[in-house]
Amino acid sequence: MSAVIETPKIQGLGDDALLVTFADAISWDIGVRVRRVAKLVCDMQLEAVTDVVPAYTTLAVYFDRSRGSFAAIATLVADVVAAVIDEKGGHVEQDSVLVEIPVRYDGPDLAEVAARTGLTVEEVVARHSSRTYRAYMSGFVPGFAYLGDLDESLVLARRTVPRVRVSAGSVAIAGRQTAVYPLETPGGWHLIGTTPVTMFDATRDPPALVRAGDTVRFVDVDR
Amino acid sequence: MITVVVAPPFATVQDCGRTGYRDSGVPVSGIADRNSGVVLNSLLGNDPTAAMIEWAVAGGVLRFECNATVAIGGADAIGSVNGTLLRAWTAVDVSPGGEIRVERIVRGRFLLIAVRGGIDVPMVLGSRSTLLSAAMGGFNGRRLRDGDCLAIGQSPLGSVDRSTVLPHALERRGAIHVMRGPQAELFGDAAWATFLGAEFAVSRASDRTGYRLEGVTLKHHGLASLPSEPTCIGAIQVPDGGEPIVIMADGPTVGGYPKMAVVRSADLSRFAQLVPGEKVRFVLDT
Repeated sequence: MSAVIETPKIQGLGDDALLVTFADAISWDIGVRVRRVAKLVCDMQLEAVTDVVPAYTTLAVYFDRSRGSFAAIATLVADVVAAVIDEKGGHVEQDSVLVEIPVRYDGPDLAEVAARTGLTVEEVVARHSSRTYRAYMSGFVPGFAYLGDLDESLVLARRTVPRVRVSAGSVAIAGRQTAVYPLETPGGWHLIGTTPVTMFDATRDPPALVRAGDTVRFVDVDR
Repeated sequence: MITVVVAPPFATVQDCGRTGYRDSGVPVSGIADRNSGVVLNSLLGNDPTAAMIEWAVAGGVLRFECNATVAIGGADAIGSVNGTLLRAWTAVDVSPGGEIRVERIVRGRFLLIAVRGGIDVPMVLGSRSTLLSAAMGGFNGRRLRDGDCLAIGQSPLGSVDRSTVLPHALERRGAIHVMRGPQAELFGDAAWATFLGAEFAVSRASDRTGYRLEGVTLKHHGLASLPSEPTCIGAIQVPDGGEPIVIMADGPTVGGYPKMAVVRSADLSRFAQLVPGEKVRFVLDT
């Protein structure tokens, strides 16, 4: 489905980070490799490295310039990338946690989603809550995890006019993805439900309920 | 203890930033003008990670309830400390009842008010920096308000440096140095010539999450957006409209707009001090 770049490209992301690009299109397999490299780099516990961030097809390694050079870190990361590319067989997600998120399907856009997809509200709810999702990456705001893939029949473009305010705990869909808004923020996704679960809590370890690579199920509390 | 008698429109507690949680979407935050923060902490004999007040937009008043030693820098401001003219870039002693009165900021965006021992607020995920979007860190996760009482830390590292930092050590003029960004090749020669030849103005729609630049639009020949990928402070991203946005300390950790260039880390402090309407040029490091 996606064209894997034979040798992932490593380039500078400013002068205190490097970006590894594995592919030019999103796929789950690429994500698994990205996260495998991220884990191996983290496990090296390099003193200079401050953050390792996996995304859909890329990985960033941020470092403290007073403790390590771009060249030295790029060499170490390149070795890890090469080792992971050479690994034979399936790449199995490691350290993946199954997170169940209770949802009340009462979102303000639920009826519109049903109308636009030609489904009944019950069908939308059933299709959203019957799947097991994977977290591709986190970002946007603390604790926001991009989950996929959504049932094909529920795929809709984002709202043309984003909301200025989306409440924390809103369960939403957009494109092939679904997510829970961890905080009150602006947002352009379709809101189909709400959860009482706290997605991000700075006093918790780890603070984010869902992290890249985790598996997520939405449980319909009214069923 | 420091009492915020009159808060400015925008003041938060910040330190050298929060690392280790970008993979959960937590930005680094921290003092926007990092270089000035380092100088002030050094003058006061503080640990480089000590927190201070980052103060913007307008004047206000702080009152000290105890003996303290302060240092002020970053933006240039008019005001007084203990009733005498405010002197920046040097340690100043304040006695109980003494006040820092900031009349106004005359140049630059962020005034930094540091105190020996640092501002003592709880550590949240390893930092005292405020992140307003998540209402976390700093003083109750929010801007300072009239009547807030800030505790002062009791463990400075070393002794106070009684010298004055020469202003030329913190030069603000001149073009901002950038490096090619991860999507630099999506921008053709014409776009690069425009970018490096133009004078941009910092938009009013600029805050600690990002600075929008106006005046010139840039075209690239890639897709409108990429699969979202990690970004960084100083990344100059170009959305569909062509007006660049520079990611700042509280900005998103990932994004899908092409990143044409990235501001050199040594120049981020100078860039952060630009105010809306101020002009800026970029020069490419080779």
